[in-house]
Amino acid sequence: MKKHTLRFVFLLILISVMSCDEPETVVTNYIHQDGSVTRRIEMVNHKKRFKNCRPQVPFDDTWTVHDSLNISQKGDTTWYKTAEKLFRNTEEINLSYRSDTSINKGIYRQAAFRKSFKWFNTELRFSEKIEKKMISGYPVSDFMNREELLYFYSPESLKYEKERGADSLRYRALADSVKKKTDFWNAKCVVSEWIMEFTKLIAGKAGSDLTNDSLKSRENEFVKIIENNSKFDSLWSNGVILKKFVGDSNASRFKSEADSAMEKVFKDYFFDFNDYSVRMVMPGKLIGTNGFIDSSRILLWPVKSDFFLTESYEMWAESKITNTWAWVASGIFILFVLTGLIIKVIKKD
Amino acid sequence: MKTSDDKYDKVVNLLRKSKPILDSTEDIELKVMRRIKGMDKTSYSFSNILDFLFGWVYIVWVRRSLIAGSIVLVLIFVYQQGIILNRIDVLSRQTIVPDKEIVPNPSDNIDMILMLYKNSGRKFPGKTVTISETQMKELLETVRELQIKYKDLENIIEANPELKKQIEKKLLENEQSKINL
Repeated sequence: MKKHTLRFVFLLILISVMSCDEPETVVTNYIHQDGSVTRRIEMVNHKKRFKNCRPQVPFDDTWTVHDSLNISQKGDTTWYKTAEKLFRNTEEINLSYRSDTSINKGIYRQAAFRKSFKWFNTELRFSEKIEKKMISGYPVSDFMNREELLYFYSPESLKYEKERGADSLRYRALADSVKKKTDFWNAKCVVSEWIMEFTKLIAGKAGSDLTNDSLKSRENEFVKIIENNSKFDSLWSNGVILKKFVGDSNASRFKSEADSAMEKVFKDYFFDFNDYSVRMVMPGKLIGTNGFIDSSRILLWPVKSDFFLTESYEMWAESKITNTWAWVASGIFILFVLTGLIIKVIKKD
Repeated sequence: MKTSDDKYDKVVNLLRKSKPILDSTEDIELKVMRRIKGMDKTSYSFSNILDFLFGWVYIVWVRRSLIAGSIVLVLIFVYQQGIILNRIDVLSRQTIVPDKEIVPNPSDNIDMILMLYKNSGRKFPGKTVTISETQMKELLETVRELQIKYKDLENIIEANPELKKQIEKKLLENEQSKINL
């Protein structure tokens, strides 16, 4: 998933992924006109029951939980868990996020609801935002074009269909290009974050050759070292990479700071997170969204760690409710003014 | 000729001087007054209503304000609808995601599932059917009860040779009727 050259970290992730069998989760928000939200969490597990599984979103005993199973004709069993709760407002959702004990508790999530009266219509906006994890990373939009970005943010099912559909060759090439650029972007972000942390730790100790700007100007060199060395972990621990990047004397002088910075970056970069999907059902007529639409006309967003690594990831939808009384009042008013003008013209004649 | 004219004048004068005899003059007077008042009232209230409703058309500043208000309302309407239609048009061009991401929603209502099963010619519409754990337990319990009752029935029949004979006869009749069909 992450940069393959960073093997030791990748191994850690692999171990953590193997150790827990997290369910596939879809969170559906049914937004009501008054700002209350019925939240439904649907979890599906193909391998075992939900015992010892930590969900991707917070839910507790106050939710209405329903367990069921499905046995296919082949005899494969799939377990389902559905949890539902009515939140009076988005503040209650945010409260549950603040006391989150789910696997994804390391990220900052918040929901917002806004209702704006615009005479003929009332516009409603619901959003869920995940704050970015890295401070010094680059936006992914700097590395990909529009088509690649759309593919990057697409749900897996859509990617699967495209890569096996009529135009599969084109989409497979696109997928490869997105993967390469994602790897490069990840490496750039790690290096940028490391430079920031490292220069913070050595501030005032080093000379002018180890300032944030001077190291930033050589950022691509460091990225290339990472990309071209599959034994990154051993080369880093031996100090070979650091020597190449900051010079022999600086490398031996600031080895502990460099390690601390790298440790901090990896901790921020490879945080505990399990992907899930968010769906929204808005009241009234939908007029805008940055999400995808599924076949049941429900809005859908995949939530993956890469999406909020360097930029906040906001899933929003807007809808409108027609104010019938405003339409009637406006119609009567315009008719009244027109009648007055006609009467005036008639009397003048 | 002169005498005939004189006579005519006398008759006319006589008719003029002799007033008609009215039975209820007061009633007539009242009726006439009511009619006059009624006519006055109708014309007076209609013009009043018109003046009250549309009197503003003669006051320049009010007329201009109301016209401006109407124009503003129309402009707001056109602007808002234009924006909304444009946004809906953008939405309609969005990619539809296939169903794979959606978790099936198991139904609690076993009756509905069974009705569907009956109405679909004893075939479930999909390749799989989703039922809850409780429903599965209910189903297994029902089958178990049915098996026990069947076993009891078998024992009763075995214990009573007369009953067994009768049932066998009935079953044979049923088989024959099936063959005839």
